[in-house]
Amino acid sequence: MTERGVPERAMGWFDERTGAARVVRTAFRKVFPDHWSFLLGEIALFCFVILLATGTFMTFFYVPSGAPVTYDGPYPPLQGAEVSAAFDSVMHLSFEVQAGLLMRQIHHWTALTFVAVVVLHLMRVFFTGAFRRPRELNWIVGFGLLVLALAEGFTGYSLPDDLLSGTGARILYSVLLSVPFIGPWLASLLFGGEFPTDAIIPRLFVLHVLFLPGLVIGAITVHLVLLVLHKHTQHRGPLAREDNVVGRYFWPGQVFLSSGLFFLTAAVLAVIGGLFQINPIWLYGPFEASVVASPAQPDWYVGWLDGALRIFPPFEPVILGITIPSVFVPGIVLPGILFTIVALWPFAEARLSKDRAEHHLLDDPWDHPVRLATGLAILTVFGVLTLAGGNDVLAFYFGTDVHTLTVVFRWLSLILPVVVWLVAWRFALARRGAGEGTAPGPDDPETEGRRPGSAVRRNAAGGFEEVES
Amino acid sequence: MTPSRHASRRDERTRVGALRGYAAILGIAIASLVAAGMVTGPPLPVDAAEAGGAVREQGASLFLQNCASCHGPEGQGGPAGPTLIGTGSAGADFYLRTGRMPLGAPNQPAQRGEPHFDDEQIAALVEYVASLGPGPEIPQVTEGGELHRGFELYTANCAACHGAAGTGNAVGGGAAAANLHQANSLDVAEAMVVGPGVMPRFDFDQADQDAIVAYVLYLQDPTTPGGLPLGGFGPVSEGFVAVVVGLTIFVAVARFVGRRPRGPQAEVPAEEIQ
Amino acid sequence: MSERAAERFVGLLFALSFLAGISLLFVYILGGQTQVEGVLLMICLGGIGLGIVIWAHRLMPTKIHIEPRGSVATTPEEMRRFEDALTEEAGFSRRKLLIGGLLGAFAGLGAALAIPVFSLGPAPGRSLFVTSWREGSALAPPDGLPEAVADLPIGGVFTVFPDGDTSDPNSATLLIRVEPELLELDPAAAEWAPDGYIAYSKICTHAGCPVGLYRASQHTLICPCHQSEFDVLHGAQPISGPAARALPQLPIARRADGTFVALGDFPEPVGPAFWNMTR
Repeated sequence: MTERGVPERAMGWFDERTGAARVVRTAFRKVFPDHWSFLLGEIALFCFVILLATGTFMTFFYVPSGAPVTYDGPYPPLQGAEVSAAFDSVMHLSFEVQAGLLMRQIHHWTALTFVAVVVLHLMRVFFTGAFRRPRELNWIVGFGLLVLALAEGFTGYSLPDDLLSGTGARILYSVLLSVPFIGPWLASLLFGGEFPTDAIIPRLFVLHVLFLPGLVIGAITVHLVLLVLHKHTQHRGPLAREDNVVGRYFWPGQVFLSSGLFFLTAAVLAVIGGLFQINPIWLYGPFEASVVASPAQPDWYVGWLDGALRIFPPFEPVILGITIPSVFVPGIVLPGILFTIVALWPFAEARLSKDRAEHHLLDDPWDHPVRLATGLAILTVFGVLTLAGGNDVLAFYFGTDVHTLTVVFRWLSLILPVVVWLVAWRFALARRGAGEGTAPGPDDPETEGRRPGSAVRRNAAGGFEEVES
Repeated sequence: MTPSRHASRRDERTRVGALRGYAAILGIAIASLVAAGMVTGPPLPVDAAEAGGAVREQGASLFLQNCASCHGPEGQGGPAGPTLIGTGSAGADFYLRTGRMPLGAPNQPAQRGEPHFDDEQIAALVEYVASLGPGPEIPQVTEGGELHRGFELYTANCAACHGAAGTGNAVGGGAAAANLHQANSLDVAEAMVVGPGVMPRFDFDQADQDAIVAYVLYLQDPTTPGGLPLGGFGPVSEGFVAVVVGLTIFVAVARFVGRRPRGPQAEVPAEEIQ
Repeated sequence: MSERAAERFVGLLFALSFLAGISLLFVYILGGQTQVEGVLLMICLGGIGLGIVIWAHRLMPTKIHIEPRGSVATTPEEMRRFEDALTEEAGFSRRKLLIGGLLGAFAGLGAALAIPVFSLGPAPGRSLFVTSWREGSALAPPDGLPEAVADLPIGGVFTVFPDGDTSDPNSATLLIRVEPELLELDPAAAEWAPDGYIAYSKICTHAGCPVGLYRASQHTLICPCHQSEFDVLHGAQPISGPAARALPQLPIARRADGTFVALGDFPEPVGPAFWNMTR
C-alpha cells in the first residue's frame, strides 16, 4: 500500500463522511472519446461560467431602476444630463469603478461569443447526426438553451437603458403588440403599461439575473446528466463500435484538458474584453423615446430577426375587422416556424430515413444528403437574414442604395436556401456514390468500425491494423 | 496511430475554413483602409490669370469657366445642376472649401475632397454666388461651446443620420450622411444652415450652434476607455468581430487542446481490445 | 519536444502566470487601466491554461481505453417490473372519476394562481388610441417655447410636443416646412398644413421607432430601424421599406404670431398596428 500523503488522507476524511470514493473512482474511469469538435460544447459551458462570474460582480453595482437621476460623473458630454438610475449605475461602473469596465466588456464579448460557439456546437451535433436516438431529448434541451441564451442576451444588453437598447425594447413591445387578440395585453403585462415605462428595467433585471439563469442552469444540468447517461458519441474508427466507447479516462486526461481549455477560453475573452471597446453607452446616451441614432441594430444573434423585419414587404391586411400588423409575420410567425423545424428535426429525420435505431457512432456530414442539405439551407436562411439586419451599414460601406440592397436580400432569402439545398444534396450524393465514407445502415456490420472476429494489432509505424484471427 | 481519412479531411476543411476566415478579415481590413482614405476628384482647369481684377469680377469669371456649364451662366440652374440663387455665401463657401464642388462630371456624388481652388479664388466665387440672391451667410463660430448641450442637440437632430459616433450612414435614396471626422468647426456650422445634399436645414441660435460644433469636434477624438473602437458602427462591427475573429480563435484553441494523442500515449492496453 | 523541455516550458508558463497575477495586483493598486488589465489577465489565465494542456499532452502517460456501452433503454423484463411497481398499490384504474376530478381541481387552481399575472400591467383600454395632443395644444420643442419653431427654414424639420411637455412620448411629432406649392394632400389634410408647414407623428407605423431621418431635398422621412420611407408631400405615405401605413398627420393651424396650435388629437392611432385598431 502506498504511503498515505496529505491528499490521500484528505480524501479519506471526506470519504468517511460521504462514501464518495467509490462513485468518484467510477467517474475517474469513465472513458471520453477524443475529437476537437467535441470540445465546442465545453467552451460554451465555460463561456457561461465566465458570464456568471463577471455578471455577479456587476450585480453589486447595477441599479435596476428607471427612475430619473442627474448624471454627475466624470464623462463631460453627459454631465448634467437627466438619465435613469440604471444608466447612471452602468456609467459609474464603466468610468469610476476600478476594473468595472473590464468586467463589463468581458461580459458582453463573452455573451456574443457564447452564442456563436453554441451555434457551432449545434452545427457539429446536427451534421454528424448526434441528435439521433437516444439523444433527441438532449437536442431539444440544447436548442432550448440556445433560445434561452438569446433571451439572456437581449435582456442583458437592455439593462443599461441606453438609446440603442431602448430602441430595441420598443421593437420588442411592438412585436408583442402585433399578436392578434392578446397582443395589447401581452405587451402591457410585460412592460407594465404602454411603452415607454419605468417598470421594464427592473423586470428585465429579474429576468436576466434570476429567472433566465435559473432556467439555463437547470437546462445545462439536464443536458449534462443526459450526456453522462447516454455516454458521448464517437466518430467511426478502427476500434470504435456502436457498443463501446474509445477514449481517455476522465481523470487525469480529460480533467486536465478541460480545465486547461477553461483557462484558455477565459484568457481569450479577457484579452478581447480589455482591448476592444464594446457597447459604448456614453456615445449613445440615455434612452429617450422620441430620439434615435443610427445605425440601429441589436446584438448579432438577434440580427436575423431585425433582418426579417427589414426585408419583409409591407403587408398589413384587415381581415373581418381584425388588423394583422406588418411585424406579425416576420416577428412572430417566421421565428416560430424556424424554431419548430430545428427543434423537431430529430423526429422529422427519423421519419424520413425510417431509421429509429440507437446510434452512438457519428456520421460524416455527407453520409446523409438530405440532412446536410437541409441544415445548410436553414443556416443560409439565418445567414441572409442576419446580413439583411445590417443593410444600411452594408449599403454605406459598399456605396450602394439601401433599397436596392433590401430587394437583393429579399430575393436572396428565397432563392439562396433552395440553391444551397440542391448543391449540397448533389454534392453529398456524389461524394457518397464515389465510395468515400459509405453510410452504413442500422444493421450493417460495417457500422462497427471493424469486422467481427478480427483482432487489432499495432504495426511498425505505430498505427493500428486489423488482422484476421 | 494513423489518423483516419475522415479525420484528416475534417482537419483539412477546418484549416481551409480558418484560412478563409483570415483572408476575409484581411480583405475587410484592407477595404476599410481604402474607404477611409481621402477621396479626391480629377484635376480641373483653374483660371490663374485673373489675379488682379475686382473680387466679384474674378468670381464671375471663375464661375463662367468652372460652374456655368452645369449651373447656368447666371447660376439659375440647368439640366445638370440646381439653381444657386439663394445658396448664399454659406452654401458656396461650404461646397468649395470642402472640395465637394466642382464635380468632375455631372451627376457624380458630391464628396469631401481637396479644394480645387485656393482661398482667394474661393472668396471670389463666394462673393459672386452670394450676389446672385439672398441666402444664408457664413456663420460665426466661437470656441468653447457647451459640450453637454451639444451632445443633447446632436443626439436629437444629427445622430439619426450621421451616427452616434459621427461615422455617417446610408440614408436611402442613393444618398449617405457624411462621416464627420474630417469636418472643421466652420464646416459643421455652414452645413447646418445650408442643408447640403439631402440634409435638412437648421436654424440654431449662436449658443446651440457652438455647442453642436464642440460636440462634433469631440467625436473626432472621443475618449475610448474600452480600447479599440472598431469603427464605431456598434453591434454590426462587434458582431462581426465576435463571430469571425472569435470563432476562428476558439476553433484554433479547440483543435490545439483536442489533439489526438500520438506515440506511446496512444497505446491501448491489450486486455481491453475485444 | 522532449519531456524535460516540456516540463521546463510548463514551469515557465506557470511562473509567467504568477508574475502576471502579481502585476495585475500592482496595476490595480496604482489605479488600473482597462487594456493593461486585460492583457495581464490573459497572460495569467493563459499561462495556467497552456501549462495544464501541455502537461496533459506531453507529460502524462494517458492511454486510450475502451469501455463497453450498453443500450440506453431498460430491458423488457426490468420495464415490466417498473410497471408493476407503478401500479401495484395504486389501483388507479378503479379511480378514473376521481382522477378526472383531481385534474379538474388542478385546472381551477391553475386559473386562480394565474390571476396575479394580470396585475403586471393595466388593461390596454383606449391608451393605444390616444396621445396627449388636445385642441389648443401649442407645438413646441421639448421644454421649449412655441416661438422656437415659428419660423423654420424651408427644408427644416423639428421635433415638437404639446406645449413642449414630453411626459407622453407617444405624442412626439415632426414639424416640417416645405414649399407650399409642392404639397399634394387630400383637401381635408391640406387645411392642416398652413403655409407649407406640416406635422406628422414621429412614431413609425411599422415597429414604433422614432422616424429620425429626413432627406429634405427629396421630402422623404426615413426610419432608421428597418428603413421604412415616408413621402412628406403625399401625406407621409410609405414608399419603401416594410411600413404599410402612413404616418398620422396632426391637424394644426397657425396663429397670428406665427406659432402653431393643434386642432385636436391625431385622427387615428399613432405607431405600430394592433389587432383592433380600426375599431
